[in-house]
Amino acid sequence: MLPCTSWGLWRSAILTLKTLRAAPSVRGLCVPTRAVCDAETIFALSSGHGRCGVAVVRVSGPASSMVLRNMAGLTLPPPRTAQLRRITDPQSKELLDRGLVLWFQGPHSFTGEDSAEFHIHGGPAVITAVLQALGSLEGVRPAEAGEFTRRAFHAGKLGLTEVEGLGDLIHAETEAQRRQALRLMDGELGRVYQDWSYRLKRCLAHVEAFIDFSEDELIEDGLLNQVDSSVRQLETEIETHLKDERRGERLRSGVQVVIAGATNAGKSSLLNTLCQRPAAIVSPIAGTTRDIVETSLDIGGFPVLLSDTAGLRDSSDSVEREGVRRARQRVEQADLTLVVVDSTQLPPDPQLAPAFLQEHLSTVLPSPEAGTEAASNRVLLVLNKSDLVPEEQRERTEGELRESPGLPPACFLSCYTSTGLEDFLTVLQSRVKTLCGDPLSGAPSLTQARHRAHLQQGVQALNQYHHYRDQDLALAAEGVRLALTHLGRITGRVGAEEILDIIFRDFCIGK
Amino acid sequence: MLARKLHLLRHNFLSFVSSRTGSDLARRQYDVIVVGGGHAGTEAAAAAARLGAETLLITQKITTIGALSCNPSLGGVGKGQLVREVDALDGLCGRAGDWAGVHFSILNRSKGPAVWGPRAQLDRERYRQFIQSELLSTPRLTVLEGSVEELLVSQPNPEEPGHHRVTGICLVDGSHPILSSSVVLTTGTFLSGSLFMGQTTSPGGRMGDAPSCARLSYTLKETLGLRVGRLRTGTPPRIVKESVDLSLAQIQAPDKQPTPFSFLNTHTRCKPEEQLPCYLTHTTPGVETVVRESVHLNCHIQQDTKGPRYCPSIESRVLRFPGRRHQVWLEPEGLTSDLLYPQGLSMTMPPDLQLRLLREIPALHRAEIRTPGYGVQYDFVCPTQLTPSLQVKSTQGLFLAGQINGTTGYEEAAAQGLWAGVNAGRTALSLPPMALSRTQSYIGVLIDDLVGRGVTEPYRMFTSRAEFRTSLRPDNADLRLTPRGFEEVGCVTLRRYEKAVRVRDGLQEALMALQSVALSSTRWREKLGNISLSENKSATLNGLDLLQYKDVSFDMLASAFPECLSPYFEYSQRLKIEAVYRPHCEKQSREMERIRREESLTLPSDMDYLSLPVSLSQEVREILDRVRPNTLGAATRLPGMTPAGIIHLLNYVLRTGQRNRHTEHRNRSSQKEGGKGQLCASNIQISQ
Repeated sequence: MLPCTSWGLWRSAILTLKTLRAAPSVRGLCVPTRAVCDAETIFALSSGHGRCGVAVVRVSGPASSMVLRNMAGLTLPPPRTAQLRRITDPQSKELLDRGLVLWFQGPHSFTGEDSAEFHIHGGPAVITAVLQALGSLEGVRPAEAGEFTRRAFHAGKLGLTEVEGLGDLIHAETEAQRRQALRLMDGELGRVYQDWSYRLKRCLAHVEAFIDFSEDELIEDGLLNQVDSSVRQLETEIETHLKDERRGERLRSGVQVVIAGATNAGKSSLLNTLCQRPAAIVSPIAGTTRDIVETSLDIGGFPVLLSDTAGLRDSSDSVEREGVRRARQRVEQADLTLVVVDSTQLPPDPQLAPAFLQEHLSTVLPSPEAGTEAASNRVLLVLNKSDLVPEEQRERTEGELRESPGLPPACFLSCYTSTGLEDFLTVLQSRVKTLCGDPLSGAPSLTQARHRAHLQQGVQALNQYHHYRDQDLALAAEGVRLALTHLGRITGRVGAEEILDIIFRDFCIGK
Repeated sequence: MLARKLHLLRHNFLSFVSSRTGSDLARRQYDVIVVGGGHAGTEAAAAAARLGAETLLITQKITTIGALSCNPSLGGVGKGQLVREVDALDGLCGRAGDWAGVHFSILNRSKGPAVWGPRAQLDRERYRQFIQSELLSTPRLTVLEGSVEELLVSQPNPEEPGHHRVTGICLVDGSHPILSSSVVLTTGTFLSGSLFMGQTTSPGGRMGDAPSCARLSYTLKETLGLRVGRLRTGTPPRIVKESVDLSLAQIQAPDKQPTPFSFLNTHTRCKPEEQLPCYLTHTTPGVETVVRESVHLNCHIQQDTKGPRYCPSIESRVLRFPGRRHQVWLEPEGLTSDLLYPQGLSMTMPPDLQLRLLREIPALHRAEIRTPGYGVQYDFVCPTQLTPSLQVKSTQGLFLAGQINGTTGYEEAAAQGLWAGVNAGRTALSLPPMALSRTQSYIGVLIDDLVGRGVTEPYRMFTSRAEFRTSLRPDNADLRLTPRGFEEVGCVTLRRYEKAVRVRDGLQEALMALQSVALSSTRWREKLGNISLSENKSATLNGLDLLQYKDVSFDMLASAFPECLSPYFEYSQRLKIEAVYRPHCEKQSREMERIRREESLTLPSDMDYLSLPVSLSQEVREILDRVRPNTLGAATRLPGMTPAGIIHLLNYVLRTGQRNRHTEHRNRSSQKEGGKGQLCASNIQISQ
């Protein structure tokens, strides 16, 4: 059960609308026909999370061509023609994915505006990376529920029949989003956001009181100093929260867990054991698994996207070489890597085991990461085929490994006899749980790219406050207003009346 | 026809006034009748007449036209913006303020030009004189002393929305009815008004004036079925100046150089050195004691009618925030007046206790009261029943402005009056009604807030109500409104229009000239001396970029490039402000465009939301039915409204709009163009 109902609905809606448009429909709807430029450019994932092989990210608005140029090569593809491009991060130029990109020049697009589509690989890591990259561009923001269709509607792109279903669709979508938001806001995250929102409202109310009333009233000059430090405090807290490794977002799309290791270590057996069905072909022949085998699991109530990869070895077979390449790429993108080791390969002397495993890890994990603390948090060692190792050696090795601080946790396991499976599952579950951030008991973490974008913009807006604080209080207040608008997109809109309520509660305005 | 000629007697208005009676005008038919001669009424009458409508202003007493019933001041933070906008649309109050002001100051001078608050203390006598002479010299405007008994209401014009149509008024003296195409009601606190002082209550809207509007109140409620609410306000006692020990108060000097309100004026009537000071003093614990001891003798304070939270009586200030020192301003009432106005001491306790309270304040320890303070409770019409043109939705031709709509303050009243007058005039002249966007003016914000959300307490303007505050500045009100006021609305005279266009073009040229001077930041530093520029050395900056810096003034740049910039010295301050705000305004322009688009999609006022055949939740239906938003923009801002609901609504309106247009087209293809009030989906227009 992935909490992404709205996206799914969204997609089906677009399909519905396309089908409808194919049929002759009542045209000439009386809507403003002048190109309605919402100058903001919006983006959204218009396919479901997780399971799908290809994800479609839509972009609409005047900056669409800029987006394509920044992320998919300097030249625009010919309109309405799919082209395979390298999709890169606009800032770091780091490769995010290779995929198809399309360019629709307005008004010949779904929304009537300049639009672009990215057809990328369906893994949450890729999707998240692309969405984050889009969000980092100036003037580009995540779409609100139903916004694409609304723009299409405003541009006169929808016929009457199509519009009939539109309201219900948007309703369903907003409802789904609202339910999700409610679920998330119920927990500690909600408390944190509400607290920020409350404090920001107070800051704004006090600045506004200072602007609207200080000439006539007893509003102390020290008031603004208090606001200064509150704003600074808020900035710090939001920034810290943003550095939170985005744990919450994984709750929505599933934690990506990748099984990796040398050939014939039993990776596919592990996958089959975990999903309790023969999802992957298992054979004693090294190199059986050549492509990625993906399956969705529910581990301890958390959505997990589990991938089995080709065993890592140098091969002359070009298909297998591609499989290995994909396996390595997948490991780079993984939230959690299960490095499977054939226990029978462990050195007979338990004291040598840590060094051996360290060495082994460096061949599996991407080089800059291996051995770092971050890596050991994102890796579990699975010592498979434990039934083939003498019990005494296993126990002594376990003892050694416990004493080696540099190594990730290791579990002896036999996929064949299921010995040790339960202990392994406990470790895995706790790791998945940490990655997701437990909305009930865990540390509050971010849950949506949308939230994240708003928080980032909120922090930027607060910078404006400091920048103008001594020069122009109206412009400084604008910064706080803007920050509150962004936070309001998460917690609910804040109206002028609410600010006035705080002003009148906190000050005796008597003129 | 007699009445029409009478305005020619304008230079001798006092004799003109006394010569007029109701019976002279008995058979007259007017385009617009304005009832009430306060801030809303005078602006409404003047605006309708400027528009070209034959206008009649009816007031109980001609001598109280332009009277400042409460505080002797105009403008302030937020309110000053309204005055500037009313002036930009050629209204009266800005020029009247410049004529009558005796103490000018720009509030918030240190907080950024967007929130500067031009304000003045006024000479009551001069203000009244100016307004009266201005009105009596306005072509097409007739002033009549009388009391309105009744509104004449008839069947609606079936081609337009509404259940009734107003056709004129009847005077109390029982003379013939006076007919008109539109009526503007600006009855202030006189609608079922009652006055409170201590335990005594008497009917009336202002002390010293006869109660009126009793029948009117009944007509509005019973005949037209309008929802009304009740609000209260108050005024402080007036103090004999000689009895005040001003040495115990802190003197507050005006600005050394008075800044006029009006875009037409370069200076005020009052010379800088003639200005009068204000004085500041504070309440003492003794004041609190008197309030507490008098609560049981104070009807006004015991009632739970909604009073303003920001202009409370001293009683409610003390009761809500006990143990504090509250500010009291002692303001002059005029150059020759022997009275002081104690701002902040509005009170309704019995007169003997008022005196006791005043004398608890050191500077007032010997104070004598000329007239005691009192409270007023009055009916207001819930303004959600109005359209953005300030017409009553259910009644064709009936417009409301001022306190009757639940606002407080002269400036708020003047702004609504002007706009109601414009639309009453347009209706009478068969022109379509017009709305001001909240993205373009504080007047737009004021009206949109009123008709879109209604009021729960007297509504006052604050800058924080305007989401586009940095664009809606006092300095650029002329650019925002004057050209449109002339070209589209018709309420601006040619003289003002030409001046605004000259300024607009001059500013434009000056901005281009500024952009044309570009130097590296190193060169700028050489030219201008010690200024701190954050850009790196090689960056090229133009004059406009440079003007954004705090320490850089236009004059500095002009002395660096005299040949190119010196022609624009007169705009020096406006250019500086423009340079600082321009980048922000550009960012806001997108959001403004979106709001304007939604505002341009009008919802029919007679829509039956409860049975509308679209899928809307019951909750949303009820909200829509209760508030009946005028535009899609207003509907979007309603709490509880969902995006899906908006789409359904829009869809429905567009569809029916299309259908209606077709039938309309068939039925009345021979009829005149530009008929009002068609279903608005056909009216979609994107402004600017």
